[in-house]
Amino acid sequence: MAGANTVRILDGNTFIVSEDTGDIEATPSEPTGLFAIDTRFLSKWVLTVNGERLNSLSYDDLQYFEARFFLVPGMATHYVDAKLSIIRERAVCGSFRETLTILNHDEKAVDLEVRMDAGSDFADLFQVKDEILNKKGEIYSEAEPDRLRLGYRRGNFRRETIISASVPARYDRDGFAWTIHLEPNAQWDAEISVRTTAIGPGGRDLRMGLRSTERPDIQRDLEEWIARAPKVNSEHGVVASTYRRSLIDLAALRFSPISLGGQTLPAAGLPWFMTMFGRDSILTCLQVLPFAPALSKTTLRILGALQGTRFDDFRDEDPGRILHEMRYGETAAFEEQPHSPYYGSVDATPLFVVLLDEYEKWSGDVALVKELEQECRAALKWVDDYADLAGNGYIWYERRNTDTGLENQCWKDSWDSISYADGKLPPFPRATCEVQGYAYDAKMRAARLAREFWNDPAYADQLEREAAALKERFNRDWWVADGEYYALGLDPDGRPCDVLSSNIGHLLWSGIVDEGRAAKIAEHLVGPRLFSGWGVRTLAEGEVRYNPIGYHNGTIWPFDNSFIAWGLRRYGFAEEAAVIADGILDAARYFDGRLPEAFGGYHRELTKFPVEYPTACSPQAWSTGTPLLLIRTMLGLEPHEGHLSVDPRLPVGMGRIEVLDIPGRWGKVDAFARGRLDVHSLAA
Amino acid sequence: MVDATTRFFEDLDRQGFGPLLAKSSGTLRFDLHEGAQTRHWLLQIDRGNLRVRQEDREADTVVGTSPRLFDELVTGQENAISALLRGDMTVSGDLRLLLQVERLLPGPAGSQGPRRVFRKEAS
Repeated sequence: MAGANTVRILDGNTFIVSEDTGDIEATPSEPTGLFAIDTRFLSKWVLTVNGERLNSLSYDDLQYFEARFFLVPGMATHYVDAKLSIIRERAVCGSFRETLTILNHDEKAVDLEVRMDAGSDFADLFQVKDEILNKKGEIYSEAEPDRLRLGYRRGNFRRETIISASVPARYDRDGFAWTIHLEPNAQWDAEISVRTTAIGPGGRDLRMGLRSTERPDIQRDLEEWIARAPKVNSEHGVVASTYRRSLIDLAALRFSPISLGGQTLPAAGLPWFMTMFGRDSILTCLQVLPFAPALSKTTLRILGALQGTRFDDFRDEDPGRILHEMRYGETAAFEEQPHSPYYGSVDATPLFVVLLDEYEKWSGDVALVKELEQECRAALKWVDDYADLAGNGYIWYERRNTDTGLENQCWKDSWDSISYADGKLPPFPRATCEVQGYAYDAKMRAARLAREFWNDPAYADQLEREAAALKERFNRDWWVADGEYYALGLDPDGRPCDVLSSNIGHLLWSGIVDEGRAAKIAEHLVGPRLFSGWGVRTLAEGEVRYNPIGYHNGTIWPFDNSFIAWGLRRYGFAEEAAVIADGILDAARYFDGRLPEAFGGYHRELTKFPVEYPTACSPQAWSTGTPLLLIRTMLGLEPHEGHLSVDPRLPVGMGRIEVLDIPGRWGKVDAFARGRLDVHSLAA
Repeated sequence: MVDATTRFFEDLDRQGFGPLLAKSSGTLRFDLHEGAQTRHWLLQIDRGNLRVRQEDREADTVVGTSPRLFDELVTGQENAISALLRGDMTVSGDLRLLLQVERLLPGPAGSQGPRRVFRKEAS
């Protein structure tokens, strides 16, 4: 959304997107600003000295929560002969603080008028790309002797930005200013504090007492986070540096919902998706389980606590359904958007069960499995009772909120992602293949939980019978005989969306693929139509809708590939898994270890480097989790009867990799591996 | 004629147990303000066991709304989380308890739930 030259820093769901001078001048095409609880609290934040805008010499985003800007007066010229330097240092830490430092390099004293223009449109996050003309409430601005108060009021809905400074300033409705006198080589400093508030009628902040809004030890918190995680050393320098980059980004992506008292779960993406997403949070937890298991526990708890209990057509809520997305802004408050929370996804519910089982296998946390028994049963009941819209034993979707609900409720959620081979789009309800795999896996895993922990062997037997029947049915109804792969989707008449897609890789991960067909699926995944040399395309080359930069119709999604690699290993295709891991980790080096959400499906030989798909969010949680799952896959890390088994199958170029202190029910264990597979002969 | 709020709390008290609250314990006080008048409802939860009193006692969670809005919440005409975000309902103390109790509220009266498609094949 925001351009490439913007600087973003954040803490939780408070974040700032600004120009490289630190200024904010929000427009629909450049949605900069200070944001918190899905609301823009500053849309204007422009620093001038003697009426002149400042020019950026350089900036540093030191950590994800702080940045520093080095500025001089006047606009860019070929030769900057500045007698003044201005440094803006800012940090987000619950609230927003900015320190201004002005240095006079001249031999003469100077008199300066330092001014900050400040204003806010209080846009909802969903509106920042729109021209906001008819805000339904009232925007106000009040200059007080020691502060500037910017506010928005619509009924009892009130949001305020309160600005004050350590050095007394003159406040007016459009900003604040200082008149200063600086001797030669003298320095002036002022610290500006910007607080965001969400005040209810009783004068209490929505967030008050619910979480600590100040976290001054954010730096130490980050250091502890890194210290707690396993260490990765590698001869192939990229693996270790990519791992470290991912760990830091994962720290930034931790999000503490206001109802959770400071515990964190992974949000979907930074900065625009710093909120709970059922699907993204669960898949990220699965990816990072060997490295950061605590995130899974929190995610399962919060998603369980917000599990649907009733029918609500506006929110697409059903009993047992796991939420899709939660938002806190004006459009959710006034029900102009359904995210309070919105339940329109069909994969989060079975994946919730999958995560609980996988988490127990690693952690041995039986208490959580017992704690969430009812939630798991409710989730499985949803699969059988409410998701089967065609009454034939599959999970289907059709939104009931036809105004603002989501059409495609699978991970490929763009409007044209599900099609027949002739390119036409199927009617609703629709079913996609990977979700049936998740349902199969959820039943198999829940059967284990029922037998081992819930003391209900009859339920376990029943789930296994249902899973076996589903597998048989699926392999009959979804197999595209002439292409020898599974269809991407089914329409309500049972007609297959018979395109070749990356979704078949998820089926391997879930275990729903008949043994006899797995080799063919593996062959497709590393074959020329799907595999570009970097990774598996979302849609195969040669399909009518294939486009190398089509969002879900040809681009390569790193997260998708990480689950495909995991699936390949599950069925014993270690070399094919290594081919994919090698390609994606190679691609990571072009992005400084930070894999984007997606990149182009162009053949590797054609472009020589992975072409980034321009997207709103970076880092994206499940892209951040990708290198971690690929490391797990290559090393063959599997919890097995209370131990961690290690069965490495690395590509030759990877050299030696060691992962130290992998936490789990076994305490801490190290894993070592050396690259021996010649992946290039296979992919050729 | 008993109002919807009274019926809601009396039903909870009569049920005596809420399976959805089996993991929750604590007390919530609902302060329903109308002019100078405030009506208090105290809901005590002990691992799902429910007890309702009309008392103004200290509680882990204190919820404030108008009686009219509360009537609308317990009849599914309004949604509690939206009302909270809007500031029409205020909470102090433990928000988690309220989010658990919120799950007992009904959905909108007009909501149909999943729409099954007609199956073509003859049975």
